[in-house]
Amino acid sequence: MLQRDIFIDEITKKMSKDKKIYFLSADFGAASLDKLRAQFPKNFVHCGISEQAMLDIASGLALEKNKVFVYAMAPFLSLRAIEQAKCGPGLMNLPICMISVGIGLGYADAGPTHYANEDFSCFRSIVGTSIYTPSDNQTTKLIAKDMLQKPKFSYVRLDRDAQKDLNPKINNQDYKNGFKIFGKIEKNKIAILSHGKIFHDCLNAFKKNEKKYIFINLFRSKPFPQKLVKLVKNIKNFLVVDEQTPSGSLASCVYEGFRDYKFFPKIISKSLPERYFFENGGRTYLLNKFGLSQKEIYKASRNFR
Amino acid sequence: MQINDLESLAKKYRREIFEKFLETQQGHPGSIFSMMEIVVSLYHGGFLRFDKNKKEFLDKLLISKGHATSALYPILRDYGVISNTEWNKWGKNNSKLRIFGNTSIPGIDITSGSLGHCIGSGAGMAISYKNNNQDKKVYVVISEGELYEGSTWEALLFAKHRELNNLTVIIDINSLIILGNTTECVNLNPIKDKISGLGIETHEVDGHNIDNLVSALKTTDDSKNFSCILANTVKGKGASVMENKKNWHYWSPMTKEEIKKTREDLK
Repeated sequence: MLQRDIFIDEITKKMSKDKKIYFLSADFGAASLDKLRAQFPKNFVHCGISEQAMLDIASGLALEKNKVFVYAMAPFLSLRAIEQAKCGPGLMNLPICMISVGIGLGYADAGPTHYANEDFSCFRSIVGTSIYTPSDNQTTKLIAKDMLQKPKFSYVRLDRDAQKDLNPKINNQDYKNGFKIFGKIEKNKIAILSHGKIFHDCLNAFKKNEKKYIFINLFRSKPFPQKLVKLVKNIKNFLVVDEQTPSGSLASCVYEGFRDYKFFPKIISKSLPERYFFENGGRTYLLNKFGLSQKEIYKASRNFR
Repeated sequence: MQINDLESLAKKYRREIFEKFLETQQGHPGSIFSMMEIVVSLYHGGFLRFDKNKKEFLDKLLISKGHATSALYPILRDYGVISNTEWNKWGKNNSKLRIFGNTSIPGIDITSGSLGHCIGSGAGMAISYKNNNQDKKVYVVISEGELYEGSTWEALLFAKHRELNNLTVIIDINSLIILGNTTECVNLNPIKDKISGLGIETHEVDGHNIDNLVSALKTTDDSKNFSCILANTVKGKGASVMENKKNWHYWSPMTKEEIKKTREDLK
């Protein structure tokens, strides 16, 4: 099942009891959205292919104490409407949840206009955002439930494609923490830290000798989880992997998060290069070509020696 | 209130704003003076309904041209929404009042300043009122210059599609933006054809004629359609030193003679 369907199904379930929930789309669909629209036509707002107006409309609805979800393809929701996000939910502290679908190279068949390789850094810089990048359906479901229960200005980054389950699953305590660590924490291990789809690639990259590593799934990168620092303060080396261009990617976020608690381990960033990608070949092809193959991720961990 | 009373109030508010700007040496008098009759008509013409007990307005007014929001402060003070103490503190440290309005200021319904946002936000409010069967209206005042923003047109299309008749947009057409006349910068004319071309009910009025404004506002209030009022105005209206002068978008230093002349004009 797609992450977007998991998320929207949770909203649909809640809508039958809560008339204050609104779902806005800039002409972006989902099988689950067809059901939502059919069941709750008054609470679904088609905004046209107008991400900027959608955010402004969302602000108006939120000013009237409604719980508002806006939904669009990641590159357009993030960069096209970023000033509306600042001036609406940002400046007025409005509980608008932005559901951004197709992060990274998710729309690899479409080309660079449809890639979202800069959205993370852009939205990190907007004051007051909470940022989530789930790697599986369980986390996606927990985020949706949380945003329905305690609405806030949030930027939720969903993958275009279905993602495998994580094992063990993210539980309620993990959700509160904002991360989950896979593997036993030991001083001499290297920590592999990532989020979203690419976290699965990290798990696969180190499968053969996974006991030498711990894997940190940082599904909530903002606010940065303080508890993570406490748990990993004995680890010296962190490889941070992100399907974003390097400026302001997850490695910057981790560095700043650690720095705030005076923790300065060695951090190696593995991200996409600073360029746009016009090559054809699909997501795996592009990841392999531009340094994010599982082999390259594994090789990067050897730079700590 | 009679039309004459509203005209007197518009003059009074211009005087008070001028003295404040003179004191603080900042503000956007040109843009405020061009829309003064519009906001006086809305507040004192009975369009924005006031709950005396709660000291709040039932209907909403969003000043999309946020640099002119301070036009509302003396009006809100007269209604007791902004205290005299706060009014007197304006321009001093820790004052709530500032050039651009924000929602921390009593009676200000939106944080604005960046142009092109408020028709969309007004539409969101209007949808909420309709869905909840709330008898409330939203008025949005935008500058002519906001017609350069794509989001303005996105929101106009949306409001028309939904036929949000509890939303009225008033466009303050003073023909000047920072660098000059709109016809010379990037021509917006004919504005009426462009707005009505979207199928929007459009009324064109003299934006300084309160009788005209009140009449148009009554028509839009009774309409079953989403509607726009095109208010033809003069930037800096009422102060001959400022009228139709692009450099009076912002506060400019004044000579003693100019100050004297402006005070006389605004009597």
